Amino acid sequence: MAEEEWEPKILAFCCNWCSYAGADAAGLERRQVPPTIRVIRVMCSGRIDPAFVLMGLLEGADAVLVTGCHIGDCHYVNANYKTRNRYEFLKEFVDELGLEPERLWLSWISASEGSLFAEMVREVTEKIKKIGPSPLRREWKK
Amino acid sequence: MEEVKAKMPRYYLAWAKDDAIRKKGANGGFVTATLVSALETDFIDVALVVKKKSVYEGIPVLTNDPEEIKECSGSLHCVPLNLTKYVVEYAAKKRIGLPTKPCDARGIIEQAKRRQVSLENVYMVGLNCGATLHPLRMREIAAYYGLDPDSVVREEIKEGKIFLVSDEEGKEKEKWMKIDELEEKGYGRRDACKSCVTKIPTMADLACGNWGSNDEKKTFVEVLTDKGETLFKNAVDSGYVAIEEAPGKGIETRQRIDAGMQKRAASWKEKMDALKALSRSERFEFYVGALKNCIHCGACKEVCPVCACEEDAKCTGLYDERDSYAISMYNLVRIFHLMDSCIHCGQCEDVCPVDIPLTLIQRRFSERMQRHLGYTPGMDVTKKPPLYETELGWSAEAE
Repeated sequence: MAEEEWEPKILAFCCNWCSYAGADAAGLERRQVPPTIRVIRVMCSGRIDPAFVLMGLLEGADAVLVTGCHIGDCHYVNANYKTRNRYEFLKEFVDELGLEPERLWLSWISASEGSLFAEMVREVTEKIKKIGPSPLRREWKK
Repeated sequence: MEEVKAKMPRYYLAWAKDDAIRKKGANGGFVTATLVSALETDFIDVALVVKKKSVYEGIPVLTNDPEEIKECSGSLHCVPLNLTKYVVEYAAKKRIGLPTKPCDARGIIEQAKRRQVSLENVYMVGLNCGATLHPLRMREIAAYYGLDPDSVVREEIKEGKIFLVSDEEGKEKEKWMKIDELEEKGYGRRDACKSCVTKIPTMADLACGNWGSNDEKKTFVEVLTDKGETLFKNAVDSGYVAIEEAPGKGIETRQRIDAGMQKRAASWKEKMDALKALSRSERFEFYVGALKNCIHCGACKEVCPVCACEEDAKCTGLYDERDSYAISMYNLVRIFHLMDSCIHCGQCEDVCPVDIPLTLIQRRFSERMQRHLGYTPGMDVTKKPPLYETELGWSAEAE
């Protein structure tokens, strides 16, 4: 069997009201989204506990995307402000732990920004392909 | 209160009027006398003090018996206890008075922020703190200088020197040792203490110590809060404590000692940071290697003066023994939750049964975050931990 090109695994948390709809829109608009992404829908980006992100990395995600409504557009008044706050902590944490800062992304995507979603996933995939698999990832030895 | 404050100078020299207390106390027995007077005048319900068992061992005692407090006077340098959790667990609803090192006081303030204890009820008699020593290190020091560790009966730290007295079969032996010399050889104070820059408990109600005092049997006292002022006044008015105004020279001396200590601590911090020179991937290897030894006993969480989750904690809740992660969720969540709040007291490393260098790890993570946030935990009870804030006051634009 020929050597396959390594494909990263990217975990995306999408909020129900904006970025999940944005991902949907990307599909409706027939945009190419790399198949590296695994989407988990949450009701709000404020629901994303930092522990979710850490667990995602431990479970073998090469990058984690945190996405939500634009600041000020949150369905739950101000919950994405909290996301932004926690992301600051996560960014420092991941950097200090010795993972590349590119393994963590925060993006605000509205329901109509399908193109933005597709573009972001492409960009992340490219970057992760360059830096290689996460050192936290455990491959099963055959 | 403002008016009163303007009239009263903030610095005093104080000592116990009772000769027995004055003699037994390290510096005139002010702290003991204050706690005794507060108890006897029904100013507080209980006092929390540390009772000496041996040079290497002390047990925290919660008592309302003044005699017991008198027994516990004098300083213990080899008992690196943090009293915060005892206050929370046993006296959260009572009016309590206790002597606090800066890390005790900071822990109590962090617990107050988390609504575990009401600061109105806690009277913190702060103690200036140069350092504590781990009992095992002190044994090594005694052995290094040819004393039998088990027969050491008295220890003292003064002017950068450790003073040990051992009693071997009735023969008293004394040793003076320079701390700097010891530390060059790898003995000496706890890592957390070496690099601690909070030597004067400015967050407590009173700050007491011998720095700036011109007499061995007088304590230099700084009155820091209104609560501290009532406690101090109570001790003076009830006739337990004699005071005089602190000389200006003493105040200067104290500041000079504090500044010198802080400078040394900062240089130690630089020196002890083993990860500074490592690359990103080497740092990752270090963390994985160090935390791999964890047996998940939960002792670090139990003693942590900042942690207030008790049994339903996220760190233990998300940890599963069957996981085979490179670093367990327990450690990751714990480190993450302490990033804004770690007060660098080093309790976790003291109790760790597998000797994980937790002081270094927690410091690496939390110090950079706290610098980034411009936040120092345990100083001001009105400042909420930033992780719980909705907005941080500065905006981080999404990438």
